[in-house]
Amino acid sequence: MIDLRRHNANFCSEHFTKFCRDQDSRTIEEFDMLSPGDRVLVAVSGGKDSLALWDLLIRLGYEADGLVIGLGIGEYSQSSTGYAQRFAEARGLNLEYVDMEQRYGFDIPTGARAAKRAPCSACGMSKRHVFDEVTMAGDYDVLVTGHNLDDEAAVLFGNVMHWQTEYLGRQWPVLEAGSGFPKKAKPLIRLGEREMAAYCIVSGIDYVVEECPMSKGNKHLGYKEVLNEMELRQPGAKADFYLGFLRRAASVWRAEAQTGRSELGRCASCGAPAGGEICAFCRLVERATGAEPVTLGPTRVRSS
Amino acid sequence: MSVVKLMNRLDLNRESVLFIRNGTLVPGDAMLDDTDEIEIRPVISGGAA
Repeated sequence: MIDLRRHNANFCSEHFTKFCRDQDSRTIEEFDMLSPGDRVLVAVSGGKDSLALWDLLIRLGYEADGLVIGLGIGEYSQSSTGYAQRFAEARGLNLEYVDMEQRYGFDIPTGARAAKRAPCSACGMSKRHVFDEVTMAGDYDVLVTGHNLDDEAAVLFGNVMHWQTEYLGRQWPVLEAGSGFPKKAKPLIRLGEREMAAYCIVSGIDYVVEECPMSKGNKHLGYKEVLNEMELRQPGAKADFYLGFLRRAASVWRAEAQTGRSELGRCASCGAPAGGEICAFCRLVERATGAEPVTLGPTRVRSS
Repeated sequence: MSVVKLMNRLDLNRESVLFIRNGTLVPGDAMLDDTDEIEIRPVISGGAA
């Protein structure tokens, strides 16, 4: 059914889904991500990774709600949200929905242009703010995201290539609660994108296949391409790179990341952690609210 | 022809795609028939899902 070259094995459906559950469970235990009885909030997008994560956590017995954010990226956002909603409805799961335009007065395309930020930068910053806010307000014990092995390896590759050591400490797959932040974890770090897509297919999980139209030219896509060229020649290279970093080098920068967080003040507008008087998200809101809306052209969206 | 051979012919990286033959996921050493319906599904996403 699927070949995993880094494990030198082919798997049938049954054993592949067991493999994914075991890898997820092992990650959660090794990094002390979740405890029995924890109220978990899953950041969901309608894509393969977040829906697979939510499915895995439910099957492992965790109480997990979902949160999907309406980013306002035209048909793509509507379609993605639809997949998340149908996934939740079919399984009787609770899915919270926050619409950027309704709650904050702007969508991501408009916000990115108004703030003169790259779309992925404005999107990522906005999502992190909303995830944190909903997690804290809902008294969830932990927020989990669908970052997978390929995502983390690509981010690490970029951080190392440019020696952005201030970001290396943030790559530990668990960030403890404190200094105004909720506990956050990434349970999928042992599993790659190919595995997550395969998990969705064999588990009957429909997800949006098409890429976000605003992600074209995203530098991380380029890093992933480079890393997959290496993986083609050296199966297991991505896992060695990222998991090796966690085992052998991450501890060097973890303390620095924790110190950085504890030195932050609080935003005078929303109360979230902030480097200045107003946090970056509230500054974005100020610039974007009332700005001329950006209209996106039609987007071709393909389902699984 | 095998799935791997077809991927090489199409200049695809097998780490970036999944092959679905007649609605079923297949590994790289699976053999293809002229009558097979093939979906080549990209798996790389641009950001956090």
